[in-house]
Amino acid sequence: MTDAPSLGKNMNCVEFQEKLPELFESQADLTTEEHLQTCENCAALVRDLEYIASQAKLLLPIHDPSPSVWENIQTAIKQEPGANGSPVLAPLGSS
Amino acid sequence: MSAGQTQAKPANQHLRRNPPIAGEAEAIEKAQSGDAKSFEMLYALHKRRVYSLCLRMLGNVAEAEDLTQEAFLQLYRKIGTFRGDSAFSTWLHRLAVNVVLMHLRKKGLPQVSLEETLEPSQDDGPRKDIGARDLMLSGSIDRVTLERAVENLPPGYRLVFVLHDVEGYEHNEIADMLDCSIGNSKSQLHKARMKLRDLLRSGQRKESTV
Repeated sequence: MTDAPSLGKNMNCVEFQEKLPELFESQADLTTEEHLQTCENCAALVRDLEYIASQAKLLLPIHDPSPSVWENIQTAIKQEPGANGSPVLAPLGSS
Repeated sequence: MSAGQTQAKPANQHLRRNPPIAGEAEAIEKAQSGDAKSFEMLYALHKRRVYSLCLRMLGNVAEAEDLTQEAFLQLYRKIGTFRGDSAFSTWLHRLAVNVVLMHLRKKGLPQVSLEETLEPSQDDGPRKDIGARDLMLSGSIDRVTLERAVENLPPGYRLVFVLHDVEGYEHNEIADMLDCSIGNSKSQLHKARMKLRDLLRSGQRKESTV
């Protein structure tokens, strides 16, 4: 883990938010950031961004393509010769 | 380290992100030698992630299935060139990402040039959030709401967000897939999250006024 970028005591919201991508990437504990102790707005922003990143894991893949996709792939492969004119893959059922 | 610099890839990082799948290495080797059953096994192992990526980027089942098909046909043509320098799933994802980007460019959608997509204008970026403290997102977003908001991100933001926050790829892997700098990937991810926050908050405001 890299060290968190050091922040000045009198950092304002614009300066803090410009540093925010680096702070997130540093995986530092942002609750200790001085600016967040006194700025409710930036504290809410950080909570929201952390929440969005955590909720993104809900979007892991859950759907499969329909069986016709594989059928179409098989059909296309059968029609596609390899570089030497023969199929790159032996057709299913031939091995 | 500056944002644009590359950084050393931690040893075996791809193993942490992509733990070995039983039988995959053997299937790759056999598919490279022309074994159809092994290629079918690779399809079965990876179809869900490739299809989900296509679906998220296109928002349309028919197009997503077409591009999934195209990605695996590309795999069929190129599997002989896979040398194991990265995890197979990362290599396949890169291939699928390229298929998606090519498709978006052909459709002439705005911001689908990778360079443009990853370097949107200032106007397109999220605003700094100075002063608005009316709504908090925590605890209020379900899967469907978030999915819809992601659909409304510009393609470049969406791609980096999906690859990093949903699929769990590291910035150096994303930079490799998208042929951009690590700093660029980090910057796009932050802008994507900021834009998502805007979208989610504006959705909440609409709901609260109904």
